[in-house]
Amino acid sequence: MNLKSMSKGLLFLALTSTFAVTATAAETIKIGINVPLTGFAASDGTSALNGAKLATEQVNSAGGINGKQLELVVYDDQASPKQSVPIATKLIEKDKVTVGISCSYSGATRAAAGIYQSAEVPYISAYAIHPDITRAGNYTFRTSFVGEVQGRAGAKLAGKILKKKRAVLITLNNDFGKSLVTGFREKAESYDVTIVNEYPYSIKDRQFGPIVAKVKADNPDVIYATGYFFTAGPLVSQLRAAGVKATIIGQEGFDTQTFIKIAGSASEGVIITTSLDRDSNSQESQEFIAQYEKMFNHKTDMVAASGHTAVKVAADAIKRAGSTDRSAVRDAIAKTDLTASTGTISFNSLGEVIKNVQVQIVKDGQFRHYAVISDPELLAPPVD
Amino acid sequence: MLFFDLLVQGLLQGGIYALIAIGLTLVYGLLRILHVAHAGLYTLGGYIAILITNATGSFTLGITVSMVSVGFMGMVIYRLIYQPILEKPPFVALIASIGLFIAMEEIYRIVFGAYGITFADAPLQGTLNIAGIYLRHCEIGALLLAALLITSLSLFTRYSRIGIAWRATVTDPGMSQSFGVDVIKVRYLNFFIGSAMAAGAGSMVAVMNNLVEPTMGSVPSYKALAIIVLGGLGNVRGTVIAALIIGVAEAFGTIYLGNILDRDSIAFALLILVLMVKPTGLFSKG
Repeated sequence: MNLKSMSKGLLFLALTSTFAVTATAAETIKIGINVPLTGFAASDGTSALNGAKLATEQVNSAGGINGKQLELVVYDDQASPKQSVPIATKLIEKDKVTVGISCSYSGATRAAAGIYQSAEVPYISAYAIHPDITRAGNYTFRTSFVGEVQGRAGAKLAGKILKKKRAVLITLNNDFGKSLVTGFREKAESYDVTIVNEYPYSIKDRQFGPIVAKVKADNPDVIYATGYFFTAGPLVSQLRAAGVKATIIGQEGFDTQTFIKIAGSASEGVIITTSLDRDSNSQESQEFIAQYEKMFNHKTDMVAASGHTAVKVAADAIKRAGSTDRSAVRDAIAKTDLTASTGTISFNSLGEVIKNVQVQIVKDGQFRHYAVISDPELLAPPVD
Repeated sequence: MLFFDLLVQGLLQGGIYALIAIGLTLVYGLLRILHVAHAGLYTLGGYIAILITNATGSFTLGITVSMVSVGFMGMVIYRLIYQPILEKPPFVALIASIGLFIAMEEIYRIVFGAYGITFADAPLQGTLNIAGIYLRHCEIGALLLAALLITSLSLFTRYSRIGIAWRATVTDPGMSQSFGVDVIKVRYLNFFIGSAMAAGAGSMVAVMNNLVEPTMGSVPSYKALAIIVLGGLGNVRGTVIAALIIGVAEAFGTIYLGNILDRDSIAFALLILVLMVKPTGLFSKG
């Protein structure tokens, strides 16, 4: 083949592939996703994206939305604002997505939220919890709790449900841990819980020897430990190995089977606040749990359920809007009233989710239902 | 009581740091390369220990295979990455090393998964109560392993023929070569021993956390740099002492300075303080 015919061939190839792309683009409704698939947050990112994929699969196999198939456009943001900002621009300008979803952490999500807002494209945060995300404007929504809300639920759990009096806080030193603890501190007193001490730690810590030794000396009857499974697993097993018997309260960061695998028998009896009820009677939740395990051969977790919920909320809104017009979809999201895998979802005026907090306990190596906290006043998300 | 608890926890952490940092300071002493990817080998050590233990049920076998194979891996890295660029300016090797470290983390993620891996049945989890201080068997094991490896290394370099040749090469490569020391052999030995020690540390940390993640080496990668600078670059004894000092400082700092200083910044705060007073580190020969 000479150079000329080769270049002709290439040109032909380029043209046909362009047509192919436009052809599919006309038939699908695009949802853009920024998610950490490499770097330190890759495990959460993978779960969240799997949840989103399952939701897409469910929507499409049920006939799609208004006759069109749903398509996810996914970019890896490494949980970094440096990546999420150009990704947001790319999703909005080049991929022309109808809705953007963040399956990423707060830093990346916060930075991208402003881009979506100024382009007037709806943006849903699946599990990033920083309060500023929805403050970017009326196009930003969050389907998970802000940290403060869940922290307040933790205080009620400790004081009212478990009847504990002396709490030690072991706090993950980032926006996740700090906002949870802010909520806990806010309500601790009204539930008769005294905070004896607080120990911050960094997300990179896995060895908690010094903190464990000090907690032992403090002798609390409840420990409010914030963290993710990879910090919580070692923390809980080190606390128990040192003979600390106080009840441990965790949150949605603990909510994965990997936590139980790491902490082993030490995880028994750990109680967490989260948004996924493993023993839920809701068909949506049960189907999600069963199909997730079948599709990915991995036990599901809160982050996966959050990615799943966010896509379901977007799909539901596009269906009700009856078009892919971004402002019509925004209005439809604001009016959401949907039973999703993480509970019944509606939004307040700021775009914050209103739903119950699920309390789960580790029993025989599984998360099980323990209680539900459904106190609208306690769980009221911020409105400005 | 709390004081002794914190002291023991600090020494434990310091022992782990020492095992990692020794390999780094050995490589620096011999080749003047900051071998950042060393922390990647520490992670690899953890992975291999878990995989072998899960497959055979024996942690002793797991840690042995881990140390030997990672030792060889260190030699391979020297041969394939560093040897071809030894004549280049030092920053070339540094860039290669950082690149290799990032690549290793991502390879672990692709091969072993983003969630990290755990022991099927974590060994050495029983606890021992020594005068009110609770230590897990794995923590005692880590302390003993650190003491054993560091003592053997010191005896080896002092009394064995090749150990003496090694020290001579670190002091003056040109002179020792002219006295008939096989410099290449010394380099391979250097990478083998340093990497194997890091794998030993990685294996023990794997048991203590019951978790090995792709990014397990990210903190040691830079903290070990602070330690070897503090210890006087290339000085093994200084590195061990610096590692123990930092371990203990972190243990007390976590409790008493935790609200002001992040645990990971304590090493660097200490480093800055020491460098202000003694710019060559605590134990440099010069």
